[in-house]
Amino acid sequence: MDIRLLRPSDIPLIQHANLENLPENYFLKYYLYHALSWPQLSYVAVDVSRPKKTPYDYPKIVGYVLAKMEEEPTDGVQHGHITSLSVMRTHRRLGIAEKLMRQSQQAMVETFNAQYVSLHVRVSNVAALHLYRDTLGFQTEKTEAKYYADGEDAYCMKLDLGFIKDQIEEEADGEAKDEGEAVGDVGSDPAEKKKRDAAEKEKKRKVKVGRGLGVGELVERVETKKE
Amino acid sequence: MPQPLSSRDQTLFRTVIKNYEDKHYKKGLKACEQILKKNPKHGDTTAMKGLILNAQGQTEEAFALAKEALQYDMKSHICWHVYGILYRTNKNFEEAIKAYKFALKLEPESQQIARDLATLQIQTRDYQGYIQSRAAMLKARPSVRQSWTALAVAHHLAGELQEAEHILTTYENSLKNPPLKSDFENSEAVLYKNQIIAERGDIERALEHLETAGKDALDRLAVMELRAQYNKKLGKKEEATKAYRALLDRNPEHPDYYTDLIEVLGLSDEAERKALYDEYATKYPRSDAAKRLPLDFLTGDAFRQAAKSYLVSMLSKGVPSVFANLKHLYKDESKKETLPALVEEYIQELKSSGDVNGDSSKGEGAALYFLAQHYNYHLSRDLAKAMEYADKAIALDPKNVEFAMTKARIYKHQGDTQKAAEAMDAARQLDTRDRYINTKAAKYQLRNDNNEKALELLGMFTRAETPGGPLADLLDMQCIWFLTEDGESHARQGHVGLALKRFHAIYNIFDIWQEDQFDFHTFSLRKGQIRAYVDMIRWEDKVRDHPLYSRPALAAIKVYLDMYDASQSTNGVNGTSGDANGADAQEAKKAAKKAKKEAQKAEKEAAEKAAKQDPNAAKKEEVPGKKKDEDPNGLKLAATEDPLGEATKFLVPLLQFSPKLIDAQIAGFEVYLRRKKYVLALKCLNEALALDENHPALHAQAIQLRHALNSDMKDLDPKVQEALKETFTAVPASADLKQLNAEFLKKHGNSAQHRIAAARAAVTLGEDRSKAEKDLVDALNIKDTTFEDAAALLEQLKKWKSGEVASFKQAAHEKWPEVTVFA
Ligand SMILES: CC(C)(COP(=O)(O)OP(=O)(O)OC[C@H]1O[C@@H](n2cnc3c(N)ncnc32)[C@H](O)[C@@H]1OP(=O)(O)O)[C@@H](O)C(=O)NCCC(=O)NCCS
Repeated sequence: MDIRLLRPSDIPLIQHANLENLPENYFLKYYLYHALSWPQLSYVAVDVSRPKKTPYDYPKIVGYVLAKMEEEPTDGVQHGHITSLSVMRTHRRLGIAEKLMRQSQQAMVETFNAQYVSLHVRVSNVAALHLYRDTLGFQTEKTEAKYYADGEDAYCMKLDLGFIKDQIEEEADGEAKDEGEAVGDVGSDPAEKKKRDAAEKEKKRKVKVGRGLGVGELVERVETKKE
Repeated sequence: MPQPLSSRDQTLFRTVIKNYEDKHYKKGLKACEQILKKNPKHGDTTAMKGLILNAQGQTEEAFALAKEALQYDMKSHICWHVYGILYRTNKNFEEAIKAYKFALKLEPESQQIARDLATLQIQTRDYQGYIQSRAAMLKARPSVRQSWTALAVAHHLAGELQEAEHILTTYENSLKNPPLKSDFENSEAVLYKNQIIAERGDIERALEHLETAGKDALDRLAVMELRAQYNKKLGKKEEATKAYRALLDRNPEHPDYYTDLIEVLGLSDEAERKALYDEYATKYPRSDAAKRLPLDFLTGDAFRQAAKSYLVSMLSKGVPSVFANLKHLYKDESKKETLPALVEEYIQELKSSGDVNGDSSKGEGAALYFLAQHYNYHLSRDLAKAMEYADKAIALDPKNVEFAMTKARIYKHQGDTQKAAEAMDAARQLDTRDRYINTKAAKYQLRNDNNEKALELLGMFTRAETPGGPLADLLDMQCIWFLTEDGESHARQGHVGLALKRFHAIYNIFDIWQEDQFDFHTFSLRKGQIRAYVDMIRWEDKVRDHPLYSRPALAAIKVYLDMYDASQSTNGVNGTSGDANGADAQEAKKAAKKAKKEAQKAEKEAAEKAAKQDPNAAKKEEVPGKKKDEDPNGLKLAATEDPLGEATKFLVPLLQFSPKLIDAQIAGFEVYLRRKKYVLALKCLNEALALDENHPALHAQAIQLRHALNSDMKDLDPKVQEALKETFTAVPASADLKQLNAEFLKKHGNSAQHRIAAARAAVTLGEDRSKAEKDLVDALNIKDTTFEDAAALLEQLKKWKSGEVASFKQAAHEKWPEVTVFA
């Protein structure tokens, strides 16, 4: 097993793993969108021991975490989000999912100054709940009724990443002190945050399926706005 | 002459553009009509109307209007720009580029046209054109960092590294204040520059740059990895050691870090290396790699010990993936023997200690499961034993999905696709909420040619609301594994239309994947993630070298070749029997008719079902912007007049991107020989011979080519003749082909695959076909013939419509009663 950063060339087999493992599927372009927007955040587990069948075999993906930063956080706080995570059944319970998640969380803080990471999980998903709650320390924020396309509810879970930030600062303190704050803190004005939180509560989120439109729409919209 | 608009209409025209951008097409069209009522020959408005219609899917009308617009107003950049966009959206990039260039000539200041042109240039990999465009855009907007980065990327992709670096440096030098540490765009640009310096080969400077400009970059992993690599390359042992140790602390699950560190430290001794891994295994008890990797290099007793402790800990925890994690060690004979022996030992020890575990998937169950997989693995296969262990494991834990899955896999290896499918479905029923096992169950149904059942299973996890049901959802979601398996299954069953339908769907998905990069040419510059973008570009350049493409492409080519051969069979060429006298063609027609009927029936049934379920179904089908599939069952594809041309479409990317795939070269030969493109056929043959000169199929191909040339050579262009003479050395022109083939058969007579090759060659040479068939039938008695070989023999006999088919099948069935294809 090899746990490493996702590369664009991994994407077809990541998409394949996703289609094998989960009912929430995405176009290839949506994976590209992650890989090209936040290339530091998504990780794969690769079975490096497989003998090659052809000279063109790609590394066999047995697990992946696809992660992003929330682009317009409704609470104004920079945070990461887990779009998808799965491990092939033949490779489960080896600790792969945990390790993928930890790598991603680390990078969320380092590169994008994430304060926390959020995700959705089916209320019936015992394995995933054990991983998130017991192994990684996520807390259930709320239950979203009928979040999934088939009508199942989701737990919306969160993990405060402050502990990673503390670690990094500790390490930095160990070395020589340098010029001030490492990363700009976006939207951390507490008063501002309160307002946003209130607004967020008012808004009732619609049922969403974990399936993106692809960036085409996004890109064009932003482009035309700029012109 | 262009008509000038009144100021009111000018305002209206601006709303048209806004409406278009906001996708308010109806409003936009209405406004167009309003303007055109007063100014019927207004070029720009006519063009915009065309653009909106194009967005609504009315391509033909759109082009007609765009042309009309240009007639009204040849000098309007809007008309040319629209014309270009129409070509672009309809994938004619060449014409689009031309139109954009006209537009830009008329309106050199337009950033939008310049950007559209540049994007197309990079999409088509016109690097020099892209450099020019980006240079011009930089001139227009030199204050924006993106402009500089874009030009640097253009040079970089064109291989002009020095120029690329220079552009980045020029921008940096123009900055008055140093960027903030939190400036993400800057952080990435610095690392991008560092990558370019390293690619130029100047590692020393790259390291220095990394430690100064790059030291605070926000992508910490990149900085750490580059630091380690550079120091290692420069032989700076101490720094490199420190850097790799830092990386291992961050991710002890990445094997390269260990091997690199070992190289830096110069550890060659087994024990020393083991000690390093042990250090990390102790430091990170949850790390798998540190414990497992030493098994790769340890030998003898040291291996035995390490393997034992690894196995015991994994089996006791009941980790289902132990075997998957170790099977690569089977390349080594002694490890292949040691591992199962250790597991047996483990079982004995459990028994003697009387330590009966509460959870039956752990301990003994896990060990039995390991052994079942061991005997099911191709390097250590003994399927009867495998079944024994699987049954024992299941007896301990009847609800265990993994155990049940293994049983299905054993049946598969026995060739019993029927029982395999049943067993996998039984495994599925043990955990109906897991899509992985559902996927496997569906796949096994497809292997058993039960396409309907497969789709029904998959439908449990596809989105219910997708119009068109599970198939449409799988197509939408680019589910290549399903399309491949379903297509191959239909091909096996002779459902030519449906098979081709699936393979073409995959071909189109790859087109989409290639187009997917389009938006990122601008998006990535905005996001500032340049290294990832460059990676993506390099991957996209060869996206079709993927086995996800080559496998279905080869299958499609085979279908087309068979189709072509069947259509030629009346002439008795290409190895099919001459005395069939049109029987094949008739049969092909019959089959096509039958397929059509079946398809129509299926369609009707599906429509009825949909109608019953949902009164609004018909309306739901019409997703706007989505065209209805006029040929859902591939009947039109199956009716093609030009199967070889269609095959070539699949073939060309194979030969371009996977030239080292011997099956691609073999398929290429078959297509080109039939098309009488002898130079290309020979090229494939020679490439294949260079890859594996002993491949049996190549013997038949060489003889076929020489045979064809013996009769056709004189009609070829003298230059072509010359080229063929020079490069066709596998079988000399003077050779007695029949004798050559007889010798081949004699030499390799005890291999079924070689017999097939010899038989094909013999029939090509006009030798007695019944003798060739006898040789194939007789191959069943060769000791080493596997049931897979027998299936290949049967396929060849069937292709020849041999009278031996039934008796062969019977004999094969007696020899392998469990194999479904002979049943
Ligand atoms: C959920 C999933 C990703 C876990 O992957 P994994 O690599 O097997 O998980 P890990 O080995 O890292 O296990 C992490 C922890 O969860 C526990 N766990 C894993 N599978 C479990 C199961 N089926 N039941 C109970 N606990 C389980 C492990 O024991 C471990 O706990 P520990 O820290 O106490 O030792 C995997 O089961 C999967 O891919 N499922 C299908 C897809 C899916 O549901 N994805 C999540 C969508 S939100």
